[in-house]
Amino acid sequence: MANKQEKSSKSIGIVKKITGSKGFSSLAAALMAILLGLIFGFLVMLIARPGSAVPGIRYVTLGGLGRIGDVFYFATPILMTGLAVGFAFKMGLFNIGASGQYTMGMFFALYAVFMLDLPDGLSWVVAILAGFVGGMVWGAIPGIFKALMNVNEVITSIMFNYIGMYLVDMLVLKNAAMYNPAMTRTRYIPSGAQIPALGIHGSNVNFGIVFAIIIAVVLYIVLEKTTFGYELKATGFNKHASEYAGMKGKRNIILTMSIAGGLAGVGGAFAILAPSAIVGSSMTYEPINIIATAGFNGIAVALLGNAHPIGIIFSATFISHIQRGGTLASLVGYKPEIIDVVVAVIIYFSAFAMIMNTGLGKFVKKRIEKDKKDLEIKEGSE
Amino acid sequence: MDVVYYLVQNMLPVAMPLLLVALGGMFSERSGVINIALEGIMLFGAFFGALFVLSVQNSSIPPQWILLMGMTVAAISGLVYSLLLSFAAVNMKANQVITGTSLNMLIPALVLLFSKMSFNSDGITTNVNFYIREIPILGNIPIVGQLFFQRTYLTVMIGFIFLILSVFLLYKTRFGLRLRACGEHPHAADSVGINVYKMRYAGVSISGILAGMGGFFYSVGITDGNISGHTGVAGFGFLALAVMIFGQWQPLRIMLAALFFAFLRTLAYSVSLIPFLYRLGIDQNYYKMLPYVATMVVLALTSKKSRAPKAEGIPYDKSTR
Amino acid sequence: MANYIIEMLDITKEFPGIKANDDITLKLKKGEIHALLGENGAGKSTLMSVLFGLYQAETGVIKKNGEVVKINNPNDANALGIGMVHQHFKLVEIFTVLENIILGVEPTKKGLIEKSEARNRVIDLSEKYGLKVNPDAIIEDISVGMQQRVEILKMLYRDNEILIFDEPTAVLTPQEIKELLKIMRDLAEEGKSILFITHKLNEIMEIADRCTVLRKGRCVGTVDVDKTTKEELSRMMVGRDISFTIDKKRSQPGEKVLSVKQMTVASKTHKNNAVRNVSFDVHAGEIVCLAGIDGNGQTELVHALSGLDKMIQGEVTLCGEDISKASIRKRAISGMSHIPEDRHKHGLVLEYSLAENLVLQRYWQEAFQKNGFIRFRAVEQYAERLIESYDIRSGQGPKTVVRSMSGGNQQKAIVAREIDKDHELLVAVQPTRGLDVGAIEFIHKQLVGIRDAGKAVLLVSLELEEVMNLSDRILVMYEGEIVGELDPSTTTVQELGLYMAGAKRNKGEEAFNG
Repeated sequence: MANKQEKSSKSIGIVKKITGSKGFSSLAAALMAILLGLIFGFLVMLIARPGSAVPGIRYVTLGGLGRIGDVFYFATPILMTGLAVGFAFKMGLFNIGASGQYTMGMFFALYAVFMLDLPDGLSWVVAILAGFVGGMVWGAIPGIFKALMNVNEVITSIMFNYIGMYLVDMLVLKNAAMYNPAMTRTRYIPSGAQIPALGIHGSNVNFGIVFAIIIAVVLYIVLEKTTFGYELKATGFNKHASEYAGMKGKRNIILTMSIAGGLAGVGGAFAILAPSAIVGSSMTYEPINIIATAGFNGIAVALLGNAHPIGIIFSATFISHIQRGGTLASLVGYKPEIIDVVVAVIIYFSAFAMIMNTGLGKFVKKRIEKDKKDLEIKEGSE
Repeated sequence: MDVVYYLVQNMLPVAMPLLLVALGGMFSERSGVINIALEGIMLFGAFFGALFVLSVQNSSIPPQWILLMGMTVAAISGLVYSLLLSFAAVNMKANQVITGTSLNMLIPALVLLFSKMSFNSDGITTNVNFYIREIPILGNIPIVGQLFFQRTYLTVMIGFIFLILSVFLLYKTRFGLRLRACGEHPHAADSVGINVYKMRYAGVSISGILAGMGGFFYSVGITDGNISGHTGVAGFGFLALAVMIFGQWQPLRIMLAALFFAFLRTLAYSVSLIPFLYRLGIDQNYYKMLPYVATMVVLALTSKKSRAPKAEGIPYDKSTR
Repeated sequence: MANYIIEMLDITKEFPGIKANDDITLKLKKGEIHALLGENGAGKSTLMSVLFGLYQAETGVIKKNGEVVKINNPNDANALGIGMVHQHFKLVEIFTVLENIILGVEPTKKGLIEKSEARNRVIDLSEKYGLKVNPDAIIEDISVGMQQRVEILKMLYRDNEILIFDEPTAVLTPQEIKELLKIMRDLAEEGKSILFITHKLNEIMEIADRCTVLRKGRCVGTVDVDKTTKEELSRMMVGRDISFTIDKKRSQPGEKVLSVKQMTVASKTHKNNAVRNVSFDVHAGEIVCLAGIDGNGQTELVHALSGLDKMIQGEVTLCGEDISKASIRKRAISGMSHIPEDRHKHGLVLEYSLAENLVLQRYWQEAFQKNGFIRFRAVEQYAERLIESYDIRSGQGPKTVVRSMSGGNQQKAIVAREIDKDHELLVAVQPTRGLDVGAIEFIHKQLVGIRDAGKAVLLVSLELEEVMNLSDRILVMYEGEIVGELDPSTTTVQELGLYMAGAKRNKGEEAFNG
C-alpha cells in the first residue's frame, strides 16, 4: 500500500517539478506569446501583400540564421536595456525609462570619446564607464522620486525619457566636435575608440556582446548569490515581510534604479562605440527628437526572458534574430516595421500569458493541493 | 497685447488634445483602470482620422464638416482600440501597465508599416485647411472675440463642449456616480448591485473615444492635418496623464492644468516672436523640455497629498473580500 | 406558533478543511432583537454571510415568513428585505452621505440624478429613527458613529425589514455605543427585526430579547435574555472547563526582560486609539499572555513592540535597553523574537525556499554571508538542523518553496526560526492559529521549553484553552486597555470570559506593573 502511494506520488512529483517549476511555466508563456505574435505578423503580411506573405514569414523566422554575426551585433544594446528593465522588475519596479537612460549613456560615451584626449584602447573603456555613469544618474532620478516623494516611477521615467532626449539632442547639436551638420548626425568615432571587433567575417560583431553576456552573468550571480540580490527579490515578492526582516526599502529602491539605469546606459555606450559596415566608420546618432527604440525593445526582451538575466540573453538574441529577419523581408516588399509590430504583439500577449499561464498553473496547483491534502491526511494519521 | 492674443490663440488648439485625452484618462482611472495606452490610442485615432480626411479631401465637402466626420471616425477607432485594453485588464486581469505599454508600441509600428507600404512615406499628409481666420459675428466682439474666435480651430469649441459634457456625465448622472464608486471601492459598488466589470469596460471605452478624438485634434491643430508614424503625438498621451494627475482627476482642474501645459509649450515654440524672451537667448531646447520638467515639479510637490482613485490599477476580483 | 420572520434551518457551510457552520438552526421573530454570540471562529459571521447571500450553504434551508427562499447574492437578500451592516463599512469615502445611501438606486429625472426627493426621504428616515446624519457631509470627514448610521440608513432607505449588524460596537466610543443601542431599540419597536453579532455580554443583556450561542461551528442553544445571566452565557460561549493537557512546572520568574510603560498607539481604522496607556512587564522564565477578543488592541500593541508601527507615546525597554525608537532590526538584535500574527504577510516570503525563509532574520550575520556573498552551505546546514529539531515537514527539504508547504509546517518554520535565534524575549501572536492538533501540541511544548530555559514569552492568543494552559500570568485586554490580571491556576474560564467581554474589570493600576 505504501509502495504504490510512494510510486505514484513520485511520478506526480516529477511531473509537478517540471510543470510547476518557474522555468517551465515562463518558457511556455514566452513561447505562446511569441507564437501569437508571429501569427499576427503573418496576418498583417497577408493583408499588406498577400503574395509575399509566405516567403516573408520565412525570412522573419529563419532569416537571422544566415547572419548570426549581425544577430549578436544588434542584440547587444537590447540585451543591456533588457537587463535594465528586468533587474528593476525583480524588485517590483517598472523601468519604462530605459530609453532615456540609454540615450544618456550614449551621450556620456560620446563625450568621453570626443572631449577627452585618451589613448587608443583606453578610450573605449572609459567611454563605456562614462556610459554607465550617465545611465546611472538618469536611473537614480525616478528612484529618488519614488522613494522619497512617492511619485509613481512610471510617469517619472516617461517624463525623463523626453527630458533626456531633448537634453541630449540639444547638447549634441551644439557640440561641434561631436556633430556633423552636413550629415545631420554624430561624427564617426576614431577606430581606436571603437570596441574591438571579434573579426567574424561579414559582420561587425564586436566585444560588446561578450561584455554584455558577462554582465548578464554577473547580474545573475548578484541576484542569486549575494545578500543584496536576496534583499532585492524578497522586496519584490513581499514588501511587508522584507520590511519586517529589517531590509531598507527606500535605499534599495534608489540603488536598484541606479544600477538599472547604468545598465541601460552601458547599452547606449555599446551601441555608439560599435564599428560599422564601412571600414573606419561607426554607428552614429541622429538628434531628431525621437525616443530611443532600444528602451522599448528592452521591455520586450525583459518580459520574454521572464526578467531572468540568463533568460534575457536568449530573448535578446531571439528578438534581434527576428529583427534581422525583418530587414530581409524587405527583399520581398515588406518594411522592417513589421517586426516592431510583431514585438509589440508579443508583449501584449506576454502580459497575460502570465495569466493564461496561471490557467495552466491553476490546473497544476489543483493537483498540488490535492497532493497536499493527501499528505496531510497521511501526516495526521501517523 | 498682440502677444497675448497670439499666445492664447496658439495655446488653445494645443490645450484641447491634452484636455480631451486627460479627461479620457480620468474616466478610465475613475473606473479603476490605469490607461497608459493613451499615447497609442491617440495615434490610432489620428491615423484613421487623417486617412478619412485624405480620402475625402478632394471632394466638395466643406472643411469643417470633414473635421466633424473625421473626428467621429477617430473616436470610433479609439474606442475599438481601447477594447484591447479593456479585455486584457478586466477579463484577463493582466498587468495594466505592461498591456498599455505594448499597445503604445504597436501603433507607431503599424502606422509606419502601412504608410511606408501604401504611400511610401512616414505618415499621412493631407491638404485640407481647417484653419479658421475669423468666425462671423462672434469674432467681432472686442477682446473676447480676438482671444477665442479668431485664428482658431473648430477643435477648441468642440473641446469645451466635451468638457461640459464630461462634468455632467461624471457628477450629475447615475452612470457617473456608479463609475466613481467602482474606482474607489468596488466592493461597496458590488454590494449594492452594480456590475463592476461592465462599468470598467465603459470607463476604458470612454477613454478610447476621447483619446482617439484627442489624437485627431492633435493632428488638426498642431501638425496641420498630417500625422507621422515617427514622431507620433510627441508624448502628448503621457503629458495628458500628468495633466490628469495635476488636475487630481477632476474635469475643471484638468482644464486648468491642460491650459498651463499648453501655455508652456506654446511659449517654447514662440520664443523668437516674443522680444523679451528672445533677448534672453535661452536655447529653444530648454523650452521644449519645459512642460516635462514642469510636470515633474508639480508631481514632486503634490504626490504626498495626491488622491488617486483608491482602487485604480487593482484588477477587481469578486471573490476577494 | 411563534411568528418567525426568518428561519435558518440545519445550515451547514464548509470551507476547505473546516466546517464553519455545522447544522445550525436559527429562528428570528418579527420585531425582536436577536443576538448571535460566540468566540472568534465560532461561525457567527459565516452564518450571517449565508443569510445575506455572500456565501451559499451546502445544506439547509432559509425561510422567510414560512416560505422557502433562495438567496444567491446580496441583491436577492435585498429584494427579500434583508440588509447588512458589515464590520468593515462598504462606503465610498469621497462621496457624501446622501450619495452613498442612494448608490445603486439613484432617482433620476431626464437622465440626471434628482437628489432633492431622495434627500427629503433620508431626512425623514433619519428623524423617524433618531439617526442623526448630515446628508451633505463627506464620508471620510465624519465620525465612525455617523458612518455607521449611514450604513443603517442605507438599509432603511431600501425598506429593509430584517437588519443584520456584524459586531457593530467594535469601532464605537462608549457614547456612540449608547446611541446605537437606543437606535436599535427604536428600530425594533417600529417593527424591524434585528440580528446582531457580538461578543460583548453587557450589550446582549441590555438590549437583546433572545440570544443564540455558537461554539466551534455548532449551535449551543438559544435563550431568552431576561431569563439568563452573564455567567450562563459565558459558560455557553466557552464550554466546560478544559483538562490541563500540558505538563508544566511552576514558573520561576527572574529578572525583568520587557518593560512597557504607558504605551499609546493610534488605530488605522477608527479615530480612537487602539492601545490606551498600557503598562506591563514580562520577566525571564515566565509566559505572560495577552488575552482578549480580536480587535481590542492586541495587534497594534505587538506591532508597536516589534517596530512595525509607531507609538504616539510610551516607553519600551528590553533587557534594560530603551528600544522605543529603535529600528526593526535593532530590536531583533537586541533580543526580541517575533512570531507574527499574519504569517503570510509578515512572516514568510512565500516564493522563497524554506532555507531562504529560515535565515530571513539572520542572513546578514557573519555566519551566513561573506563580503555580501551568501554562504549557501552554511544556510543549508542551518536549515537542515532546524528541519530536524523542529520536525518541519516539507516536500524537498531546505529547497522546498514555502508556498507549497502546509500551514502547520509553515508556522513551524517560523517558530523554529524565531526560537533558534539568540533572543531573550519571544513575542508569539496566535502561534497555533489554523493548525492541527499535532502541530499545536508541538508548538506549545516549544514555548514551555524556552520558558523553562529562562526566556521571557509574551503570548497573544484568542484561544481560551491555550491561554489557560500555557500562561503563568494572564493580562486581559479590552478596548485598548488592560482590564485585569489573572492567575490561571486560580481563575476559571468563565471568569476569564467575563473580563474578555468587558463585563468585569480589576481596579487599580498597580496590579499591572508586574
